[in-house]
Amino acid sequence: MSEISLQSSAGMPAAPLGRLLGWLGVRATLVTGLAIGLAIIFLGFAGPSLYPVDPYAINPAHALQGPSTSFPLGTDELGRDELALLLSGGFATLVVALPAAILAFLTGLAYGLAAGLGPGWLDRLLMRLLDAILALPSLIILIFFASLVTLNNTSLILLLGFISWPSLARLVRNETLAQRGRDFVLATEQLGASRFYIARVHLLRVMAPILVVNGTFMVGDSIFALSALSFLGLGVQPPQVSWGSLLESGLDIIALDPWWLILPPGLLVFGALIAASLTGQGLLARYGGTR
Amino acid sequence: MVATRLASSSLSILILVTLVFFMAHLTPGGPAYSILGMKATAASVAELNARLGLDVPLWKQYALWWWHLAHGQLGYSYLLSRPVGSLLWQYEINTLVFYTVSIVLSTIISILLGLIQGVYFNRWPARLIGGLQLGFYALPPFFVAAMLVLWFSVGLRILPASGISDLRDANPGIATYAAHLVLPVTTVTLLTVAALSRYFGEAVHEELAKDYVRTARAKGVAFTAILFGHVLRNALRPLVTILGLSFPYIFTGGVIVESVFNYPGLGWLMWRSALSQDYPILIAIVLLIGILTVLGNLLADLVNGLLDPRARYE
Repeated sequence: MSEISLQSSAGMPAAPLGRLLGWLGVRATLVTGLAIGLAIIFLGFAGPSLYPVDPYAINPAHALQGPSTSFPLGTDELGRDELALLLSGGFATLVVALPAAILAFLTGLAYGLAAGLGPGWLDRLLMRLLDAILALPSLIILIFFASLVTLNNTSLILLLGFISWPSLARLVRNETLAQRGRDFVLATEQLGASRFYIARVHLLRVMAPILVVNGTFMVGDSIFALSALSFLGLGVQPPQVSWGSLLESGLDIIALDPWWLILPPGLLVFGALIAASLTGQGLLARYGGTR
Repeated sequence: MVATRLASSSLSILILVTLVFFMAHLTPGGPAYSILGMKATAASVAELNARLGLDVPLWKQYALWWWHLAHGQLGYSYLLSRPVGSLLWQYEINTLVFYTVSIVLSTIISILLGLIQGVYFNRWPARLIGGLQLGFYALPPFFVAAMLVLWFSVGLRILPASGISDLRDANPGIATYAAHLVLPVTTVTLLTVAALSRYFGEAVHEELAKDYVRTARAKGVAFTAILFGHVLRNALRPLVTILGLSFPYIFTGGVIVESVFNYPGLGWLMWRSALSQDYPILIAIVLLIGILTVLGNLLADLVNGLLDPRARYE
């Protein structure tokens, strides 16, 4: 677990699960995390149709108003409805961060399996390359590449997807090596099964809990990375808004005390991260005995 | 261990510098167009290319870059027309002050919280701290920074929100500088403590369960003497390792924090250079972060060697 934890959410090393959460109860942790996560995904995808207000309708007469009955979360400096912006920004965030997490997951899985099952020289080569990628924090690498490419949904998915997989790759590789020496794998190999068959039938099943847990963490990491990039102006590009860019535009006019433009997008990113963290930790405590 | 890390960091820096160098020149029209804009005339592009040395073949520019680096030259910024080396140095000092203060504060607070957590394991003080750690750990740095500005700069009006000096103050002294450091340092410290104290709390708890602690208690040594005389020193080892490893991650948080507070450090410079595609600066900062990463690891190994003689032979 140590390698994967080092790459976790806030870009800081995560502590081992610990018994810190024990008092909350494993089930409560899991249920809370899943509830928050599903609520955010539901809002992101169904929100814009449930609250059909045009997020981009500019209305200077109502500029920068606090929450009221006609504008549940107030308006920004252009008089746009903040709630509608947040829902649209949620969709923009999820539609990039979720496919990016899936891409990173598949890349890491394939890379780890290739290193673990392939010949020794391939393993050494792939692991050396992995060390090189892990030597610098992923957000730093992301900022570099984001400055080099034209930013749109596709390029962002590729960027986030191809930069946040290394920690999973190492975990899968180590686990593969550990499982390869076990009797049932050796027996299958002796019976003439191909490496691909072993990976598909045995390894994936044995590694399922680890994969699910780390896949959950990766969704959180992906949402954080995209929000941070968007906050820095290097993620989702205008006119499309996202949680990160909404928080940034609130910060631009912070002297006017527009708390309703800063608290909600911040809370949404926080909610997404805590949901991924709680779900992952809950799953880990419940299924992931192998740490 | 150290040699492996050194090798992988060097490889990483080499790959990144090369990639960034070539990708920067593969953008349509090359860097000249990102500086002058897409509507630049051919004549002005040619003039700029000649001035920045972008008209020689790409492989020659690449070789020249390493040649200059070997001679301590990092090239010239595209936009600021200044040597990158002296530019970096100016921002580097601000960053060093910012991080030294933040890391020292984070370490002290983490040790205090970790001791409480280890001693009161599974009782309410430790649970309270554990809950706070989990919450703060999931807080995005830009959100924490923005909320602090909202409360302390906009609401209470007691702390400055941006920059390092006051425009109304002709001769900003050390007090002005310190006041501008408070909010950025608080942000980084809160987030670093959330991660560090969890490790230290675990380490203290594990250490307290060991045989030598039981023996010491059995022969009547006071608990505080055991805690501060033995347990603290032994539990510090994992903390130092984590601190060394976190170095680059603290810097990552720093890019965001520096951009929120317009704090003129390396993170801020990196962010501005990325937005304006000023590649000589970006490439130099990759190098510098890579070097800082290696230094952080070496420093952690060194301190661990001082704390525990056994670690010197690992």
